[in-house]
Amino acid sequence: MNLARGDRRERLDRLAAEYALGTTSPRARRRLEAIARRDRIVASALSEWERKLASLASAVPPITPPPRVWRGIVAGLGLRGTAPAKPRVRWWERVGLWQTLATASLAVIATIGVLEWRRAPQLPVAPIVVVLAGADAKPALIATALRGDRYLTVKSVANAKPAAGTVFELWALPQSGAPHALGVIPAGNLTRVPLDNPADERLSNIASLAVSVEPPGGSPTGKPTGPVLYSGSVERMY
Amino acid sequence: MNDAGGAQHGSDLRALLARVAQADERAFAELYRQASPHLYAIALRIVRQAPLAEEIVQEAFVSIWHHAGTYDAAKSQPSTWLASIVRHRALDHLRRREVDTVAIDRGDDEAPWEGVSDAPSPVDMLLAGADARAIRDCVDALDAGPKQAIALAFFHGFSHSELALHLAEPLGTVKSWVRRGLERLRRCLDGAEVTR
Repeated sequence: MNLARGDRRERLDRLAAEYALGTTSPRARRRLEAIARRDRIVASALSEWERKLASLASAVPPITPPPRVWRGIVAGLGLRGTAPAKPRVRWWERVGLWQTLATASLAVIATIGVLEWRRAPQLPVAPIVVVLAGADAKPALIATALRGDRYLTVKSVANAKPAAGTVFELWALPQSGAPHALGVIPAGNLTRVPLDNPADERLSNIASLAVSVEPPGGSPTGKPTGPVLYSGSVERMY
Repeated sequence: MNDAGGAQHGSDLRALLARVAQADERAFAELYRQASPHLYAIALRIVRQAPLAEEIVQEAFVSIWHHAGTYDAAKSQPSTWLASIVRHRALDHLRRREVDTVAIDRGDDEAPWEGVSDAPSPVDMLLAGADARAIRDCVDALDAGPKQAIALAFFHGFSHSELALHLAEPLGTVKSWVRRGLERLRRCLDGAEVTR
């Protein structure tokens, strides 16, 4: 993808705007940052939008952090007490070991993700599949249905379950029309959320499903009241 | 901070960053004193948990100590550079932690959270706080939907799905609110910059 080409400028501008606003997904964000490191046009599009939105950030009323924050910084950097003209640069700070470690741990996380995915119990082959993943793109719940099923089968992978005293509630996000609740996901690793119509009809206009954390019995307001943990698009294979 | 103060502040921060790049600890302490309340508030708004916001500010300043030399005064205001370090770090934490964090209430703007319980609403901040007159006028000109979507995304780190759910609007609608809102902001700001 060459974002800097003339015909892509509009797309680049849009991506840069959403980047500065913070609505790009973490993965897209990191990709943009990686491209920006070697492409000056992309880099300047990002910083241009950061600059445009910057004065908004000054609207947040300042709050002085507790003193332990500064103590943690100086302790972590080994600055306390002495005031050397130049910080002692240790060899491991110089050789970019941290970057290497960070990259390595990312690779490990990615591998674990793949393994978890492979280890996920076999699911029946279903024509409607929704992989609900968290922000880290790791699958947490998988919802499936046959076209005529009047329920969604929800399988918990990677041990995703709500904290004590809370429940997971499943939401349908249509491309047009307001989001609405499909129901509370019963406790357990493999459960069913009943649907009032056959799955292919019920989900015909639904672009994505999402899961939020709610008090027992589900959201009392008709809108999510807790954090939205997982989401995924509805894949139809028929 | 008013406009004149802002300009003064900007040149102060710039000088401090240049000294921090030379590993000047006193400049680093002064930079922290001046910038941390603002950066902490930004992080707290987004992650809504004081311990996590503290961690983000710590990480950010460690990174600033090591990377102050990469700050390019020609490219951005020092406050922009600092705020974007903290914002992106906070967004990373938010999206990473949401998977295993359940106890926070992100749906209710009345929800008290440490230190910011009497804080103004995102839309109020969008309008009131912008110290540059141009952006305030441009934001004010947005329609209600896009304005609210952009405010929630910017100040609370809401994703498209969260916006759709919290505003009770279709995903497609909030996506286009965000997109069109940003487009209008850009046109408006570009116009304001040309006439300035």
